[in-house]
Amino acid sequence: MTTKEEKEKKKEKEEKKTYVNKKGLRLDGRTIDQLREIKIMAGVLPRANGSAYIEWGQNKILASVHGPREAIPRHTANPYKAIVRFDYRMATFSVPERKNPKPGRRDIEISKVCGEALEKAIFLEQYPNTAIDVWVEVLDSNAGSRVASLTAAAVAVADAGIPMRDLISSVAVGRIDGTIVLDLNKDEEDAPDAVDMPLGILPNTKEIVLLQMDGLMKKEEFDKAFELGIQGCMQVYQKQIEALKKKYSLEENIVKGEQNE
Amino acid sequence: MTKKIVIPGELVTEERKRLGDHVFVRDGKIYSDVLGLVEEDPKIASVVPLEGTYKPKLNDIIIGVIVSETFSGFMTDINSFYNSFLSKEKVNEPLRPGSIISAKIVRVNEVNEADLDDVRVFYGGEIISLSPVKVPRVIGKNGSMLEVLKKGTNTNFIVGRNGRIWAKGGNMELLAQAIEKIAREAHQSNLTNKITEFLAQQRNVLMNNNAK
Repeated sequence: MTTKEEKEKKKEKEEKKTYVNKKGLRLDGRTIDQLREIKIMAGVLPRANGSAYIEWGQNKILASVHGPREAIPRHTANPYKAIVRFDYRMATFSVPERKNPKPGRRDIEISKVCGEALEKAIFLEQYPNTAIDVWVEVLDSNAGSRVASLTAAAVAVADAGIPMRDLISSVAVGRIDGTIVLDLNKDEEDAPDAVDMPLGILPNTKEIVLLQMDGLMKKEEFDKAFELGIQGCMQVYQKQIEALKKKYSLEENIVKGEQNE
Repeated sequence: MTKKIVIPGELVTEERKRLGDHVFVRDGKIYSDVLGLVEEDPKIASVVPLEGTYKPKLNDIIIGVIVSETFSGFMTDINSFYNSFLSKEKVNEPLRPGSIISAKIVRVNEVNEADLDDVRVFYGGEIISLSPVKVPRVIGKNGSMLEVLKKGTNTNFIVGRNGRIWAKGGNMELLAQAIEKIAREAHQSNLTNKITEFLAQQRNVLMNNNAK
């Protein structure tokens, strides 16, 4: 076979991929409304004010929080409220092709949207003139790293004892091969007509703090995806609650004792 | 009485109570704004945080570390949002970066910047760190836990409200272990007895090892 024929045959094979088969199962065996396995641990970095580690499918992400602390350089300080400096970085080994450590446009974009999301949840007015540094490092990436980062960052901020009106629960929803599915993995994200829609909400009020879309959807598709996304976020919220309360769940019965002098 | 653990945004009560610390109102109900324990009080709804940065309070005694020197004073790290400025007039002895002091907070402004006075300089010794919210447990009711720790380790130590303990002499390692244990189990009951037992156990182990 010549190289041209080989390439055509390969293309044919690829086009025949069924992302959702007749039984309603996806490439990795999940149903269309099923999340990948998520594990969250809070308080993993002793030297940070707050921290969290999340494994979401193949994603492995570490989030650390420092602050509220003095905002330096001073001209960035806001006399009415704290500022959030969210820094999303990917380790060079987190993807198959070495990622250049210098933040690219995607890293800056994710840092911006995630930082702005956190600003809606944190009671910033309680700490004027300070900065809250949230640093997220992706150690292993497999689609949905921004929603996993935001989910972990929210746990880390709570772990730091910074007052918030709610946690932020975040999930990616999208359309592949004409079907609306929850939590796309890398293979699904790379599908030819895939549209990926990361969504982040405050779980108790369902207020949207992050919403992006990287393709075109009909309104009916969007409505369906949005509903599915909210359901997914609420499932993620349960995992976040577990992670935060796990540290203290050893003894449920606590007596008023030396705590109150 | 059982204390409930709540996370930010979790419901504390639907009753109409007075608002205490770390709670906020939404749609007529009261929610927590931190990861903490709900205070049992029929009239006031409040939450005691399980983590958090030290918020300077008037008259608190704190342990500070000198960071840098300026013409008229020293910038002191008090483990809070900002470093505190310490005027040279308040201190007779020469201080340099790394010096350890204890001081009293004499003024706090709206952005939580603190002024210090009543400075005492410490030489030697070590600093043990713990989360500021656990300091009340290290002190105990009427200083009961302090007594247990002093008797159990023979160490000379000062507890700062900002989550720093300066210690010198005696069995400092045992003190550090005991503090770590208190911090881990701060939300549990009967802690003073548990620590007394722990210290007695560790001292027995030490004596047995020495006897061999």
